[in-house]
Amino acid sequence: MIPRGPEAIRHLLTRIAQDLIPKAGDAYTATDLGYFTVLLGMIAQDYDRAAEVLVAEHAALEPILREAALHIDDADLEARIAHVLAEKTPSLRVSDLTARSDASLKLLIDLHAAVEDAEAGGADWARTVNDEIWRFLEAHVAAHAYDVAL
Amino acid sequence: MGVREDQLQGGLSDFLAAKWRPGAQVCDLARIPGGASRETWRLKVHAGEASRGMVVRIDPETSLIDTDRRTEYRAMEAAFKAGLPAPETLFLEEDLRWLGRPFSITAEVTGCQAAPGGIPPEHRDAIGRQKWRLLGKIAALDPLTLGLADVMAATTPATCAMEQLDYWAKVIAADELHPNPVAHAAIRWLRRNPPPPARKLSLVHGDYRTGNFLYSPDGQIKAILDWEMAHIGDPLEDLAWSLDPLWCWNEPERAGGLLPHTEAVRAWEEAAGLEVDPEAFRWWQVFAALKGIGIWISSSEDFHSGASKAPILAIAGWLMTDRQQRILVDYLAPHSRHRFVRVVK
Repeated sequence: MIPRGPEAIRHLLTRIAQDLIPKAGDAYTATDLGYFTVLLGMIAQDYDRAAEVLVAEHAALEPILREAALHIDDADLEARIAHVLAEKTPSLRVSDLTARSDASLKLLIDLHAAVEDAEAGGADWARTVNDEIWRFLEAHVAAHAYDVAL
Repeated sequence: MGVREDQLQGGLSDFLAAKWRPGAQVCDLARIPGGASRETWRLKVHAGEASRGMVVRIDPETSLIDTDRRTEYRAMEAAFKAGLPAPETLFLEEDLRWLGRPFSITAEVTGCQAAPGGIPPEHRDAIGRQKWRLLGKIAALDPLTLGLADVMAATTPATCAMEQLDYWAKVIAADELHPNPVAHAAIRWLRRNPPPPARKLSLVHGDYRTGNFLYSPDGQIKAILDWEMAHIGDPLEDLAWSLDPLWCWNEPERAGGLLPHTEAVRAWEEAAGLEVDPEAFRWWQVFAALKGIGIWISSSEDFHSGASKAPILAIAGWLMTDRQQRILVDYLAPHSRHRFVRVVK
């Protein structure tokens, strides 16, 4: 049987909240246990969505990189964009996907700075790409957002 | 009683017998939840007929914020002497022979709470007005007159903003576990759009928000806590931090969960004797969200590296970074609907 991760994690946090916190010997321990339930709730959300979010984000970033590569006047950035676009799809392990995401986001930081400079210099293409990058960032933070009642 | 409590009780009894009253004995030691920056314990100490409640803050091996204990202690001492509600400072001890780590002791502020679950509705308006009036009074203080120049870095009205930005940009660069393109975009925006010089330099608390003060059951603020990030700077820094949307996440119309934003700013302006410059305030708002990310990234790194096992650091690193990024995107994205931006004047 395939373990159902999020449900199992939620069972654990319910057990802590209902059975263990009331038995905590002091306020400090009770507070720490409360924090554990919050963390477990967040881990349950990530367990279910992490792979999909990381794959979808990379797919969303690729057209932005392609568009920028058409205009950007920086050999190093061009080479890094070409490298990211040519990379083979990694396994679906979250650690592999995260490593690819980290490399892409690092490139995005440098590319975004270059695009802003180009936009300040009056390049129309840069305004469009800058807007696309911000839409990507908006979707990025929304996709990673936690639903927590705190 | 656990081993840790035994050690603390013995070490603190020895210390207080030497520095406070002969024969002092510590009892009723209880760790206080929260206080992620320092390990905090409440205690009672008896010496003959004398008895006193105290709070000891012990340096951690790591914390949310890498700060100088002396700055915190001296800022709190100065605030207390200036008549602000702050815990009375009693001892600052940097000799490791007592507890193995430096620590400070303040008088216990009794019968109060810090409202981690929110201020009771019947007290929100009154506490809110006090909160921003008190912040205005802090803004009115001159750190040089208070004698804080030897524990706080000198700055100027023209450079204080960029110095703070440089500091937090360095923290983010050093501690980010994963690239954070939103934070880096904010750093670039802040560099490209510098604020006008500060109208004055004042004592900046550095972490003034709901949760960092104690109030009594009748709704009076009795003690402003957590001075570890205090420094000299633009008083708008504290105001913007206190009004950050993070502190009113579930009730965005009430700053800090207490008051409408315009009322909070009015109370601050009256007490500070200053007017908020909207252009400068906008810069400090964006900075506040970035500084938040710096703090949360730093705490996440401590948890990840195993330097601290406190779960509050992981919550700060994950949940608060998530929310602070959403705030920054809302502030800065060209197509943003600015749902986190509030009219303050």
